This record gives sequence, structure tokens and C-alpha cells, in this order.
Amino acid sequence: MTLNPDMKTYNKITGNTGEDLACAELEKKGYQIITRNFSNKFGELDIICKKDGLLIFVEVKTKIGDYFGTPEEMVGRGKLQRVGNMATMYMNGKLLPCRIDVIAVVLNPDNSLLRLTHYENVY
Amino acid sequence: MLVKIKSIANVGLETVPVDVEVDVAEKGFPGFTIVGLASKAVEEARERVKTAIVNSNLDFPNKKITVNLAPADLPKDGAAYDLPIAIGVLLASGQLIAGDLNNSYFYGELSLDGTLRPTRGILLLGLFAQKKNPPKGEVKSSIFVPEMSANEAGVVEDITVYPVKTLKDLVEHLLETKLIEKLIYVPVEEVVDFSLADYEMAEIAGQEQAKRALIIAAAGGHNLLMWGPPGTGKTMLAKALPGILPPLSPPEALEVTRVYSVSGMLSPGQALVSRRPFRSPHHGVSAAGMIGGGSNPLPGEVSLAHLGVLFLDEMPEFPRAVLEGLRQPMEDGTVEIVRAAGHVKYPASFTMIAAINPCPCGYLNHPRRECKCTDKQIAKYKHRISGPILDRVDLFVQVSVVEAEKLSLTRPAGEVNRISSKEAKEKVMKARKIQEIRFKDRRIYTNSQMRNVDVKKYAFLTPETENILKLAADKFDLSARAYFRLIKVARTIADLEDSPTIQTSHMAEALQYRQVV
Repeated sequence: MTLNPDMKTYNKITGNTGEDLACAELEKKGYQIITRNFSNKFGELDIICKKDGLLIFVEVKTKIGDYFGTPEEMVGRGKLQRVGNMATMYMNGKLLPCRIDVIAVVLNPDNSLLRLTHYENVY
Repeated sequence: MLVKIKSIANVGLETVPVDVEVDVAEKGFPGFTIVGLASKAVEEARERVKTAIVNSNLDFPNKKITVNLAPADLPKDGAAYDLPIAIGVLLASGQLIAGDLNNSYFYGELSLDGTLRPTRGILLLGLFAQKKNPPKGEVKSSIFVPEMSANEAGVVEDITVYPVKTLKDLVEHLLETKLIEKLIYVPVEEVVDFSLADYEMAEIAGQEQAKRALIIAAAGGHNLLMWGPPGTGKTMLAKALPGILPPLSPPEALEVTRVYSVSGMLSPGQALVSRRPFRSPHHGVSAAGMIGGGSNPLPGEVSLAHLGVLFLDEMPEFPRAVLEGLRQPMEDGTVEIVRAAGHVKYPASFTMIAAINPCPCGYLNHPRRECKCTDKQIAKYKHRISGPILDRVDLFVQVSVVEAEKLSLTRPAGEVNRISSKEAKEKVMKARKIQEIRFKDRRIYTNSQMRNVDVKKYAFLTPETENILKLAADKFDLSARAYFRLIKVARTIADLEDSPTIQTSHMAEALQYRQVV
């Protein structure tokens, strides 16, 4: 089955909305955003930010409603592994102090924010 | 919050306590991990527990959950940890507040809708809980087990058994809103089956000598080998044997049931193995199937036949490795299985009944038909059963061709009454009673289980009998083992006759069964 193109763009919009909200939250907490949507052929890092000399890679997962499971459930071992690999690539072999965070965003059907949870150091 | 739930692991027939520690952390990325050398079936408990909790209208906490099965170095297998994990999750997330669970054991597999499925090894849990009973006066140990298998533990005295139907019921019980009814203790005596088997001895035409040998084998637990041409009733005789075996005594029934409980061969709702086991494996059986095995060793046919009968039909057709594997359990009454995962000991004190043909075509020494086998073929056929195995057989009996007149459907007027299973069983039970009294504090049940010291102590040979024995040992070149086995058979024959000493006639009859094929 191929997804119809409208659905695809719709999901993109949802994802971007979530990432915008996540960025706002991080800035509020005093994080300094470095890059968004860093990508190469192996994958993508949603947000890269910095705080107290620590490099933080953030995976943002956004869902509309809880009917199909929580966003937390959608971030499994495999996904975190991929984020870890991408982080290694971003640092280009250097060993910098870093950690991986996950931000789970749940939206209402009208794209307004229902819940946003920030999990620190999940890896 | 951290909670500790008690459960058990069965390693062979030994029970080891397992603490199921469940932690539901307030902080941390949501997830569900199980540690403590869990096998695949235990790992999968994650999905079963999660779904069962949700389908019981309870909340599965969206938090970081860590489960530890302690001791961490013992491999855990099976789905029985579903229930303790689920209860642990509910307690640790604060949805369930229960009193003191220090003397409670939880054990059982969950299905996705929250009902409990039959789980094996419940009897062992019951016996373990009984052993761990707190000193008198305090609350007895209680076990929470699936309703379908709870009957197994019903025969264990002095513990409280709660048959649990669904997870929801158990939660209500622990919250004390709706209590689960305790299972009523059933003494073992009431469960033992006294009914006769399907095959009746009187149905078998002729073969008086074989029937007599069968009675001796049943009375003393001796190994028996029948040989004769096809169609003479060897298999029928063996099938009549369960009908003349005495019912299991309560301690015997518990011993047998432990083995069946571990191998999961009790049907749901069955409390005990109430009949003496009669196993007749097909000759295609593998060595692991016969002796026991698997990466997590389960009992084989020899252990399933414990305190009962192992019938080997067409014995020469069994693979050699399988037959030779019987040697050690036949001698020791136990079998030790060693695998990478560990080392397990199962009881295997069985009576072997074997049936063989005299040659590949089956008609060697037949009074009317001609044998078509060459000498070489016959030698090769006989070679399949090794000397050490034959040395362990106490009774050899020839099942010869039945005369046509004995077969006639209307019984000839002059025929002596055929012995019925009921009469035979009475004789056997009388002889077993004598043995029971004799071995009261020796932890054995039959003459065949006697050790050589016991033989010396209980034989009571008259001087004339001893003389015959000496002559026979010289003449037939009996091995030391055969010598002692001979005395044991004579002891059983004397018991059948209710004679305290072994008379010459008893020894003579015992010798008669030593004619090697």
C-alpha cells in the first residue's frame, strides 16, 4: 500500500508542529538550539542543542490523540539505537560529553498542544 | 516504588524460591524490561502482562518498569511468572494495596484477556509452600494458582490454596472487596483410583505360565521378558498387567504426580496420577525421549513409568543406544541427565516388561510352521539385545502357540477356571502388603528394589534352599547380579505363598524363569 501524498504531507506538518513546540520548550528551559533536522542518508536528528557544555540530541515524537498508543511507545530500542548512531556521525568520531533526550508531544485534533513530556538521558 | 513478590522455579524435581522484584520508577523514559536470566517465554511475559492488565480494566503505568527475577544466576523458563509480575506491577504502581504477602506465592500463566491458563508444576509449588510453612500458630503459607490446575495442590495438607480464575478476581481478593474461595483439602486416599483396567486376564486363552510370571512380576516389581511367535498374546498379556497392579499408595501417588506435574502431563483439573503408570513407547523413540532430555531436561519415558510399568513391545527393534541407556536407571532407580543448562535427577524405578519374537520371521521352534530365517539372520537378531540388558531381566517366560481347543468361543467343559484379573490382583496386593510391612523404614516399596544388604537381611533362606542356589549358581554360571536377582524373585514367590522363609519349591520356581533365550 502506498500512502496517499496528502497523508504524507499531513504527517510532516504534525511532526514539524511537534518539533516547533519542543524547541520552544527547550529554549524556555535554557537550552541553546544548535541545529534542527540534521540529516544524511542514514537518518535524521530532530533537534541538537546544548546546555552547560553538554551536547544533547533530542528525538521528538508527535502524535495526535492517544487512540493509537502513546508517543513513548513508538520510540523503541531500534529507534534509540538509530539516534545513537546518528549522534556518533554528527560528532564525527570525536568523543564529546553528550546525552540523548526524548520529547513526547501529544496534540489535539486541531493541532493545539495537549501534553508535552521531556525525558532526559534515555539512552 | 519497589515491591517483592514470591514465586518459585522448578529445576527438575527440585524447587527453588524466586523473588520477583518489580520497580515502577517515577522518573525515566517509559519502558518495560525484565532481567534475571529470563528465557524467551519469560521475556514475552511483557506483552502478556501489559495486555492482560489493560483488558482487566486496570491501568498499565506509562512509566519505567524494571522486573528482576532473583536469584539472577538461575535460568528461568516458562510462563509461570506472568502472574507475579502482573501483581507486582499493580502493587508498585499503587493501584493495588495488599496486606502482608510474605507467606504468599504467586504462580501462573496469563492469557491476553486476563484469565489464568493451566500451568505445570503446581504440585511442586504446593509441597514447597508446605515446607516453608511458618511455625505453628502463625498464618499458613498460601498459594495463588490458576483455577484449572489448582486441584494438583489440593492434596497438599496445611497450606491455603486459592484457585484464581482471572487477574481481576485476584485484585478484588487482595483488595478484600470480593474474596476467592479457598480450595478444600482432599486427602490423597480419596483420589486414588481402584477401578480395574480395560484388559481382563481371563480373556487370554491358555498361557498359564506367562500369567503366573506376570503375577510374580506385579507382586515384586520384577523385570519380565516374554518371547514367542507372533499372535500368541504377548501384547495382550502386557496390557492385562495394569489390571493386576495394586493401586498407588498415597506417598507413591505423590511421587508419581510430581514427575507428571513437572512434565505438564496432568490434564487440567486432574489432582493426582491415580493409576499406576503403564508406558509403552513405540520403538521409534529417541534416546532423549526414553531417558529424558532437552536443553531444559524434561523427564523421559523411564521417569514417566516411575513406580509403574515400562512395556517394550518388539524389544529388538528399539535402537541399541536407547536400550543400553536403560541399563543405569534399571539398576539405580534414578536417572541423571546432564546438559549444558545443568544437571537434573529424576526418579526412574520401573518394572520393565519386554516382548520379543524368537527370530525375524517369528516362527523359530514353532511346532507346525517352518522358520524361514537363516542362521546368520537369527544370530544377528539375537545380537540386538545385549548381555547386560538380559542380565537385568528376572523372569524369562516363553509364550508358546495356543492350542486350537483352548481358543474355542464356547468354553470346553473340562477346562480349569481361568484366573481373572480380580483374583490375580488380590494375590498381588497381599504380597505387596507383606513387602510394605517389611520395608516400612527402608524407603523402598518392592522386593526388586532391595539392595544387596537388604537381600542378606530379609532373604531367610532355609539350608536346603541355599544348597540348591549354590548348585544352580555353579551350573548356570550366574553373575553376581543374577544371583541376587534370583533370591529377590524367590522372595516374591515366597511372599505370594505367605511363607516367611524361602523354601526349596520357591527357589526352584524362581530358577525355572531363568532359562535364557
